[in-house]
Formats: sequence, structure tokens, C-alpha cells
Amino acid sequence: MERLERFVRGMGQYVDDIKVDKPLYMAVVRSPYARARINAVKGAMLSGNELNASLASVGEGAGGASANPAAHPILARGYANYVGQPVAAMFSDDRYKAEDLLESVEVDYELLKPVVSPEEAISFEPIHSGMKSNVISDKFVGNDFDIKADIVLEDRLENHRIATNAIETRGILADYTYGRLIVHVSTQSVFSIKRGLCGTLNLPEDKVRVIQADTGGGFGLKGGLQPEHVIAAYAAMKYKRPVKWIETRMEHLMAANQGRGAIGKMKLYANRSGRILGIKGTIIVDAGAYAEGLSGFAPGFIAHQLTEQYAIENGYVRAMSVLTNKAPYGPYRGAGRPEAAFFMERMVDMLADELHMDDAEIRLLNAAEKPFTSPFGMHIDASKPFMEKALKLLGYSGAKKRKAGLGFFVLVPGAAPGEGVRLQVKGGKLHVWLGSNQHGQGHDFFIKKLVKEELGVSDKDLMIEVPDTDLIKSGIGTWGSRSAMVGGSALVDAARHVKEQVKAKNGKYSQKLLLEGDYDYSEFYKFDGEINSFGANLAIAGVGPANGIRALEVRACYDVGRALSKEMVKAQIEGGIIQGAGQFMGEEIAYNEDGQLLTSSISNAGVVRATKAPKCVVKILETHSTLPDKARGLGEAPTIGTPIALVRSLEHKTGKRIKTTPVRPEDLL
Amino acid sequence: MNEVNVDIKINGKHFSAKAEPRQLLVHFIRETAGLTGTHIGCDTSNCGACTVLLDGKPVKSCTVFSVQASGHEVETIEGISKASSMTELQKAFIEEAGLQCGFCTPGMIMEAHYVLENNPDASELEIRRGIDGNLCRCTGYVGIMNAIKKVQKSNK
Repeated sequence: MERLERFVRGMGQYVDDIKVDKPLYMAVVRSPYARARINAVKGAMLSGNELNASLASVGEGAGGASANPAAHPILARGYANYVGQPVAAMFSDDRYKAEDLLESVEVDYELLKPVVSPEEAISFEPIHSGMKSNVISDKFVGNDFDIKADIVLEDRLENHRIATNAIETRGILADYTYGRLIVHVSTQSVFSIKRGLCGTLNLPEDKVRVIQADTGGGFGLKGGLQPEHVIAAYAAMKYKRPVKWIETRMEHLMAANQGRGAIGKMKLYANRSGRILGIKGTIIVDAGAYAEGLSGFAPGFIAHQLTEQYAIENGYVRAMSVLTNKAPYGPYRGAGRPEAAFFMERMVDMLADELHMDDAEIRLLNAAEKPFTSPFGMHIDASKPFMEKALKLLGYSGAKKRKAGLGFFVLVPGAAPGEGVRLQVKGGKLHVWLGSNQHGQGHDFFIKKLVKEELGVSDKDLMIEVPDTDLIKSGIGTWGSRSAMVGGSALVDAARHVKEQVKAKNGKYSQKLLLEGDYDYSEFYKFDGEINSFGANLAIAGVGPANGIRALEVRACYDVGRALSKEMVKAQIEGGIIQGAGQFMGEEIAYNEDGQLLTSSISNAGVVRATKAPKCVVKILETHSTLPDKARGLGEAPTIGTPIALVRSLEHKTGKRIKTTPVRPEDLL
Repeated sequence: MNEVNVDIKINGKHFSAKAEPRQLLVHFIRETAGLTGTHIGCDTSNCGACTVLLDGKPVKSCTVFSVQASGHEVETIEGISKASSMTELQKAFIEEAGLQCGFCTPGMIMEAHYVLENNPDASELEIRRGIDGNLCRCTGYVGIMNAIKKVQKSNK
């Protein structure tokens, strides 16, 4: 049965749906304090004394196994550094009893003063012993400059933290049989989970098999390994029984990696004609309590794309990542891209207001008229033709009367280093494994289309297989708008190789000859190039009673290279728009000054409901890329362009300068 | 904890078991009846992934105790599904891209099914209000609304 049909009939096999004999249910004792010394843990079935390991850094932007003092201990040892940090684990053959058992664990905490603000954390005492400060990465990008400018504008801008909040929370089912660890997991990358488990628990690669369960959304969080995965895997080996952990939403809000959480202190140099001469600033990413995954990489990545579609000659940015007593930082759909666009476009709008210039006019004035390499090293094609086309398609001049806001951006995909693929013909069917696995993006659609185009194989003879590290040996995963680009291109490249094999054997190619044969071809399609794409949004915001902030309409115009499925491209954009609208209207994970979580439910965290969803208008441009399947990145585009357009519209409506997302009612007072 | 007898008719079939009084209906459905189409997305009755019909009305089964449903009738996504083909609403969800990751989908379809059955002339806003307690993180509700409206139109 097709994947979507299984889902609408309630026949999905998400992790919690997988039935196994006598599973042990895992429950996690979590720190109720943002920072505390742990003097003793009593009555725990598993604590950091026994499971003495720290998380290997895998997934998007990861730096590999980490022995640094800020590596995340699987279970807290000596100190707890955020509310929700795993301290101990309990197991029972009944899920209710597993939770009851949490009550029997006694933890002796001695409270320490936490640091919540990343700006304060820079000079605050180091939260980890063995570190000189809380700054985990600090570098200058671009080149310092000293220029005479008519206008110098400065502002402090911020995107508050957001929980990824996939409707399916995290989950894992780990089993240990015949000396092998078999893991079913809700994930964006079976390879990250496998590498992470091997690296963290010191297991040989052939002793671990990771299989993707149906995955109910990821949005960045599920690209990497987290402590709970390791605890479950360790317990499965210890008890020699299947161990199941399904995260509760409350656990998700407090302990799952959170995205955004970046501050930009920007300084824009321009002349009176509106030409931007340079950008300087400091970007500070709130890494949370431990260094993992993207946290060291993120600030430099934000700086890399800061100039967006503009030909700005001078740029110099200090990019910092700082530890605080909060849940660790991680990617959330966009992962640095929305932050860069917010910082730049807010400054461009500030300049437009200073000079009383039209939003589109000032952008066109600063557009790249020919291919441009930014002072931060980002390559873009000429952006002006795209901008002119987008303004027309989005209906800019007409929407100005409705106080629409405009935003332009560059989507820098996470396409490197490429992607793995396996094609097998057996028993008259073509089986396809792709290293980048789906969890809502609709990979099925482009796999079917490309297989039909390249090999003439129709849907009925095609089996799209579940990612399983025993069955596909190399691959990366799904994030950074990469799957249609490099996953699709890996598939095309592999299909062409298989076609050659059929020709070599039979003297010619036909779909019939292919399916009658026996073929098994695997490759890792390498890609290290830079294929960026342009996007634009036009949006209309509204203000209701008590300064209730609304996203009324969002129009999008993105260059997707080649739309491999127009319906799915449109659906992905609509879904991303609502997430961008959420960031604007109220999505936030908030902490008080003691590091206690103020966000207590998925609704409270601002996930947008049906009655608050904006009207969406989608326009697609297709400037083919040089990749075999001609696609460009897409998935993250709407989360980059939507917030910047909405905040501008709100400024036009209220006359108040907006400096943060989400916009809070008090920002309009 | 003292167990109690629970007997619930789910999709026309009786399921009887001893259960703790604190057991949630969603766990009875998923574990005792083995019907895993009903999902759990939160613990605060906010997301609607666990929506089922209790005596014909939509409830969030994570907020009802099994014992409260004892002696009553429950209908789940498996119950409204036909054995061999999809219902018009299920087909429309696929055709209109009303789902991506699929996790909210069974709850969403149960709620939409209720709206269509009970308010055939529901306005756009009434449909949106109907599904307002069912969160979807993937679609922006565009495909979902189009799917529901498509079935509403074909019912006339």
C-alpha cells in the first residue's frame, strides 16, 4: 500500500506503533533546576555513574565525536545545566509504572545561579569546569573596513527560541539480539543515529543497525542523536530486552534541542542615495547548556549569508556562540537562514524609513546586477532580474495600498557532501533506497518522477524502500533543503549507471530488459559546489483587539530550479509559510530569569491553529540548476522569507519599529 | 492500583479488559484494542492527534479515562476506513495534499468527518473552527481545507 494511503487509513508504523514482545518502557528523571550541583542520585536504575559517556556530535553541521568540556553527558554527572536535563532513567514493563518509578529516585541538588541571557553569559562565570568562558566559538568573518558614509544605522535584533514541535515527538525502540543493537527510530537520518550510537557507546559499526520508522515530522531536531536515544540503546543492551522511549510533549518543550535564539547587533553604512556601502555587527547564538551539532557552526553560517541578494562590498562580523543554562541549541527549519534574512532585511527597512524610500526601490538599488561574491564568501547569481520578476508576480504595487511588507533572501542549501543511493532490480521490481529519508517532504513524488524519466519504470514496478543501515551503506540525511537537489541527483546519476549496465549486457536499453535482469548498484553522489537560490515574500499583517497580531496573507515567489512535483512544491511552501507566520505571531520557548520554562504546552509554544493560518499565494520560478535533476533547494525558503515580510507589513500598519520575533503585543505600545 | 472492568465497543466490536482507573482511553484503544491509527501528540489536550468519536462526538482520547468510556461506543480512523477502498475524504486528503508527515492525519480526518456529517453546509470559518483543536505542523492547513471543501461540494 502507498505511503499516503497507509497514513489516511491509520495504518502508519510510527515508532510507538511498532509492536514487540515484552518491551521495557523508559522514563527519564530530569533536572527541575537550570543549574545545580548534583551531590547524590539514589534509587535510580540507571544514572551517570554507570552510563558514563558524552554525546558524539552528529547530524547537520556536526563536528564529530567530542571530548570537549561542553559535550553533553548522556546522564548528568556532578552538575545539571538546564531544566529537563536527563539525570537518571527508570524502566518498567508498563508505561504508567515507568513514570511512577520516577518518584522513587532521590536526587540531592545544590542550587547554583544560572545564566539565561547569552549576552550576560559572555562575561558570566563558566558553567562548565575546565572552560575559561562560556563562549564556545568566536570568530571574525569578512574584512574590517573604515569608510566614510552619509548614514550609519545601528540596531539590536533578535529571534527568540522556538521548539521544533513536530506533531510526532521523538521516539526510539532499541533491541539487542544476537549481539547486535537494532534500532527503530523517528529520524531524519539513520546514518546520524548509527554513527552517533557507535561513537558514543564505542560500538563497532557492524554491531548496529538503524531503521527509520515512519517519522511524523522532524523540522531539524530529528537530524541528530540525543541523550535519550543513547539511554534507550544502552538499556536494551543491559537488560537484553526491547526498550521503548516515546517523548512526552512536555519533555519535548523542555529538553529537545531548540532553534533560532540568535541576536544580531547590526551596523549599516549607506550613502544618501540609498546605496548600502557596508555591514558590520556581532551575531550571538544562544548555544544552550552544551555544545553539539550546529551550535558552533551556526553564527558563522548566519554571517556567511548576511548580505542576501545585495551587492554589498564591505562586510565584517563577529560571530559568537555562547553557552547558557537552557536546552541545547539545534536546527529548526531554516537553521540560521531566517536569522540572517531578519538581520539584513530589518536594516534595509530601517534605511528605507530613514531616507523615505520605497521598500522595493531601495532593494532594487542594492541588487546584484551581475554574479557577485560577498565579503563573507557567498556566491550569488545576478539578483536584480529575479527581484524585478518577483515584484511583478507578487503584485507588489497593488499590495502597497494594503501596507504589504516585502522581503528578499538567498537560500543557501546544505547540499554538501552529496547523498547516497542504492538501486536494486530483483524479481521484476526496481527497489530504491535513498540516503536522505522522508518525514513529510514527499520524496516519493520526485523518486517516482525521476525513475520514470530516466528508466521508464512506472509506479507499479517501483518499491521505495525504508532507510535501513543494513541495506544502504552510505548516506547523509534530510535537512538544509537538500533532498530534491542532491538526493534526486544521486538517483538520476545512479539510474544512468544502471542504464549503461543494461545496455552493456543487452546491446540496448528498455524498461523490460531492466526489470527482467538482476542489478544492484550503489553509489555516493558527491557534491561540494554552491548552488544558491533566490526567494521573495510579500505579506500582509494585521492587528486585532488587545494588540493581537495576525498574519493575514503571505505571498511567496521562489526559484526552485526545477519543480519535480508542482503540487508537492506548493504544499511544502504553504506548510513553511505557516511556520514563518508562527515565528512572527507567537512561537517561542520562553524562560524566566531562573532558567525555568514558561512555555507549558504546544499551544503555549505558539504552533499555529487553523483559524489563525494566513491565506497563501504561491508563485514558482524554475531557473534550472546545473545538477543532474536541475533542482535547487526549497524546503526552508518559506521560513526565511515569511517573517521578514510580515514584520515589515506590521511596521507599515502600526508605525512601530519591530526588532524581535515573535512580536509581542507590548512591542506595539 | 485496583483494577476495574472496562468494556468499550470500538468500531462495532466489544473490547473488555481489566484496567487501572487512571488508564487513558487512547491507551485502551492503542494497546488493549491494538488500534494504533489513533496517535498521541501531546499530553495537554491541545494537538488533537488522538481525536476519536465517543458516542458520535469528537473527543481527545488522551483526556478521557477508559473507565469513563466503558459501556459507550468509540469510532476510530480504522472504523471509518473501508476494507478495500478509501473513503471520499481519505482520497481527497491525498489528492489535495492534505497531509505530509501523516501523524496528525487520523485525528484530523476524524474531526473533519464529524464536521461534514453534522454540518453539511459549514462555512469556511465553521470548518476551520471545527479543526481548530487539531494541530498540523506540515501543511499550513491549505490542503486540509481544500480536501474537506472538496468532499463537502461533492456531497451536494
